[in-house]
Amino acid sequence: MAAALPSEGMAARIEALRRITFVDVVLWGMRILIVFVVVGGTIGTLIQGRYTGEQWFDNFMFGLMIGGVYALIALGYTMVYGILRLINFAHGDVMMCGAFTSYFLANGLYRSGYLDAHPVISMILIMGLAMITCSVIALVVERICYRPFRHIRTLAPLICAIGASFFLQHSFRGMYGSSVRAYPDPVWLEGEFEIFGFGIPYTQPFVILIALAAMGALYLVVNKTKMGTAMRAVSEDRDAAAMMGIDVNKIIVFTFILGGCMAGIGGVLFCMVYNQIYYFTGFLPGIKAFSAAVLGGIGNVPGAMLGGFFLGVVESVGPALFLDGVGIRAPYQLRDLIAFTMLVMVLIFRPQGILGERLATQRA
Amino acid sequence: MKSLTRVFWVLSALVVGATSALAAETMGPVTDEIGVVKIRQGAPMFIGGYWTLSGPDVGLGLDQKRGVELAFDDWNNEVVGHKIRLIAEDGQCNAEGGQIATTKLASNRNIVAVVGPDCSSSATPGAPILWKAGIVNIGTSTTAPALTAPDRKQGYHGYLRTIYNDLAQGAGDAAYFKNVLECETLATVHDGSPYAEQLVRVAENEFEKLGGEVVAAEAVTPTDVDMRPMLTGVATAKPCVLYYPIFVAASAQITRQVQEISGLEETIVVSGPTSMTPGFYEAAGESARGLRFTSVDNTSADALGDDYPRMLQAYRDKYGENPTQAYHVNAYDAGAILLMAIEKVAVKDDKGDTYIGRKALRDALFETEGFAGMGGPIECNEHGDCAGFAFAVYQITDPDPSTFDIGTNPKKIYP
Repeated sequence: MAAALPSEGMAARIEALRRITFVDVVLWGMRILIVFVVVGGTIGTLIQGRYTGEQWFDNFMFGLMIGGVYALIALGYTMVYGILRLINFAHGDVMMCGAFTSYFLANGLYRSGYLDAHPVISMILIMGLAMITCSVIALVVERICYRPFRHIRTLAPLICAIGASFFLQHSFRGMYGSSVRAYPDPVWLEGEFEIFGFGIPYTQPFVILIALAAMGALYLVVNKTKMGTAMRAVSEDRDAAAMMGIDVNKIIVFTFILGGCMAGIGGVLFCMVYNQIYYFTGFLPGIKAFSAAVLGGIGNVPGAMLGGFFLGVVESVGPALFLDGVGIRAPYQLRDLIAFTMLVMVLIFRPQGILGERLATQRA
Repeated sequence: MKSLTRVFWVLSALVVGATSALAAETMGPVTDEIGVVKIRQGAPMFIGGYWTLSGPDVGLGLDQKRGVELAFDDWNNEVVGHKIRLIAEDGQCNAEGGQIATTKLASNRNIVAVVGPDCSSSATPGAPILWKAGIVNIGTSTTAPALTAPDRKQGYHGYLRTIYNDLAQGAGDAAYFKNVLECETLATVHDGSPYAEQLVRVAENEFEKLGGEVVAAEAVTPTDVDMRPMLTGVATAKPCVLYYPIFVAASAQITRQVQEISGLEETIVVSGPTSMTPGFYEAAGESARGLRFTSVDNTSADALGDDYPRMLQAYRDKYGENPTQAYHVNAYDAGAILLMAIEKVAVKDDKGDTYIGRKALRDALFETEGFAGMGGPIECNEHGDCAGFAFAVYQITDPDPSTFDIGTNPKKIYP
């Protein structure tokens, strides 16, 4: 008996080894490669000492800034997914529509001098117009592209979403042309202030604080209001929520409006930071925001916020921190690669995201 | 054994001869190695074109389409008795656009030749597609050295250009940075496009040959908006010159954001020829004021053709505005040498139908010499380089796009 035990253990080990597939080996290889690039690259970069503390801080702040915008857009993806289990691929372009429409108002206010003289009122007007436009377009997309397929389990809504994305891009291209427009650059966003010896441009706290305030407001709406409670109920179980008397259609409309409002704010912030708008502006931030939503845990509102900031910071700091150290030339060209590698890694190794997909286990 | 060898060689020669005869096409009075285009009497002569006709770089493509149209106007839109019809496709200044545009053009067997594109990114996949269909292609502002390199692939043997080669521009850039600006260190940024990457590489190599040091070589993607982290990396190298000859949208972002980066205050910022368009002024806004960029000289009388003032007036009369870029002259020259080559090789039969051998047309274009073009003398070599290069540096004096007027705004500051 004593002799049989080790052989059983050995047999179990051999059996476990036999179960290892080629895919397992590839996945382990990927893990090792990524750990090597991240750890080796970081050590290499820090030993080189090319960047000063101020420059690391600057990169971190740039990442927080773009991350705030990603987070706002990601909220639209994650809320719609939470309610409908649908990836609204047109959401980035909905953002573009709002920002593009408000460009004309912003430009008018800027040229008249009103934007510089009355920044608060101007920004409320600009963001208000962007929020209304995004909400209306999001609702139209929902009504035409998603509602007819709500009770049908096919890929049709996803294909419709992609079609809606192209439709919105090319509609705006047709209406406003394909050239790049310069978004206004108000005087009060110029310059910087110092904290602990670090220079911080006014644009950074402007974007980060507005993004945080918008996310805070959304969090309160979702968690502290009746509509928010109903949203969460529909997200938990749509049929049960309907049986409890919740008007599911109304909740879905409300969700798209909320997502549209966040996209409107995100779009205006994005354009005020990067001072450009054209018909393709929404595509890449939309895809990045989708990655952020998956990263944080799709369907999870705090997860989308965290994912947005995380993605922004990694994108901004990552090329210098991870790639410089392993001797990769021109590392910033690989910034998108870092973002999308993160998405792939999350999908492979932690499909539920950093904070976990809400209700993933119950639904499974 | 000897007689067997002789039989083998005779048979081989017969097979080769028969294969060649089969590959050649005879139509009417013309036999051509590649194929023959027949244009019936009274039918139009179809000429294809592909440029950037949408997106941020539309000013580049529109300007060149107009240049070709003006050349056709000078022929009264008629060649060898046929009305000219230009079929223009959108190359979108990228590989996918070039591929789609040229596939459409190549599928039309009535197209005699194709002019354009404006972007090397489009020409790189586009030219081989056209040449596979036997269609000769004349680039109008595609400057990437690889397109006419002596060791280029077979697919590019039907490609020539009436624009300079970036080997010349890169050398001019490097000499300007080193000898005129007296800089010892250079940082570069490209956007991964064949045009920008190859131009930057040439400029770097030439700068190093002159004794300078390339302290940073960065890259972005054309759709990038956040350049600050990349520029922060460049700032660590403290370059004397930052050179970024990339396309409008990304170039405008660098122009805007470079001013916010600590460590680059003393760096001289120089962009490339794509900044010479009102679209760049619009995209870069106020930050474009004072920006320098290197380009081809198309303001000096000695750099341009004698007839250019007439063409410029015709441009303004026809389109109601100043040229939106510098390369309409090169496009004009492409259109002109094409029509001259068609006149040279076209053969008519008794019914009045016209026949053009595709190989003959290609050879006639490659043999172009002594043509006084709008952009300077045109002399094609065996690799397809037909134009020379006169280096110039411009400076934007007013970022208002409505004030765009080559020579005044941007103003030539060198030589």
